[in-house]
Amino acid sequence: MKYRVNFFLNEEPVELYVDANKTMLNVLRDELCYTGTKEGCGAGECGACTVIVDGKPINSCLVLAPEMDGMHITTVEGLAKDGELSPIQKAFVEHAALQCGFCTPGFIMSATALLMENPQPTRDEIKRAISGNLCRCTGYIRIIEAIEDVAAQYQKEGGAN
Amino acid sequence: MREFEFLQPKSIDEAIAMRVEHGERLVVFNGGTDIVIQLRDRLIAPDYVMDIKKIPGLRDITFTEKDGLHIGACATMNEIGTNEAVKAHYPYLAEAALSVGSKQVRNRATSVGNIVNASPLCDTGTPLYAADALLCIEGKGGRREVPVREFITFVRRTVLQKDEIVTGIRVPYDKNLRGIFTKVARRREVDLSTICATVARSGGEWKLAFGAVAPTPVRMPKTEALLKDRAITEALIDEAAKLARTEVSPIDDVRASKEYRLDVVEVIVRRCLKELA
Repeated sequence: MKYRVNFFLNEEPVELYVDANKTMLNVLRDELCYTGTKEGCGAGECGACTVIVDGKPINSCLVLAPEMDGMHITTVEGLAKDGELSPIQKAFVEHAALQCGFCTPGFIMSATALLMENPQPTRDEIKRAISGNLCRCTGYIRIIEAIEDVAAQYQKEGGAN
Repeated sequence: MREFEFLQPKSIDEAIAMRVEHGERLVVFNGGTDIVIQLRDRLIAPDYVMDIKKIPGLRDITFTEKDGLHIGACATMNEIGTNEAVKAHYPYLAEAALSVGSKQVRNRATSVGNIVNASPLCDTGTPLYAADALLCIEGKGGRREVPVREFITFVRRTVLQKDEIVTGIRVPYDKNLRGIFTKVARRREVDLSTICATVARSGGEWKLAFGAVAPTPVRMPKTEALLKDRAITEALIDEAAKLARTEVSPIDDVRASKEYRLDVVEVIVRRCLKELA
């Protein structure tokens, strides 16, 4: 049996028929070809599948496909505007806050959600916000510095726009 | 994942009717952070998965001094942990809710799910045990409230009947109650408790609740009776900490040995008694 779901994906309306025994992650990657969102552990431990739903970061591997109905979903593909990377994406590039890159979309979504909620986080708040994302390459320091850099920019400009 | 039918009742009555109709073939689905993994690993293979999140009102968190705190079944850990009333009047519960998993998990996981799952190490179990919280249950026969201490009967066993669902948790308000939540885990974030505890006092009454040291979270009636209305001295702390060890029955597992857990129970009792003295 298929379930009809209507949702917004990166601000675009989507109507789709999905299986109940698939996850949001399966739908994003396999049905919609939004492969920026990665599957790491598939159990809510690693954060590679993080997307922002209604303003909050969640693990898309733990959401059943029919639940997507009515959601506003943002994936890493939705962050760049008019061909320009978002401030967080730029900072990850400038700080070389990645090596293999597999965890990067998840980190970027967690960082984006954090700065939406709290544009000037402390280093501890940053660490907590990304504690649900695992990186096996970088040792995290550059990731934290990239996020701090964007927070500092926001502070100069007086808030996230 | 095996195929199943996905149900989304719009009212509590409809949810109860579905549960009655499908019985053992149905699993109740809330935040999904445990259920999706169990489905994926085929630890469960239900024919029906019933999502209760579309039922209006189940996500509310309300507080009055008279009625205490009411946490709707679908309120998430982050909603509980950042709620102003919870932070002001039940800070140990807020801390416990925010100790679960990661931020992503806490945006989905619920305290009611945590309790209904009935894991011995459920992080929001001990604050609710210490605060004498009650589970609000609705079934074919009407509503009832069951103390959380009676609700969980064994590892993954509860008194919930086949025609019932949990609609929320009520936590009585005691303006004198001060509590400390402690979670001992291998890492600071995104880990299960090796031991979790809430130690609380209200005047001369003590409430000691521990998790991951027995098949269910436990209170410590003997230690609580020993401490009742007594001045907290070094000698009493020592006696209480040693007595507390006898009120738990931990096992060896992947996270820690039985001996380690017994030692940590003693340490937590000592630290909390000193702090609350």
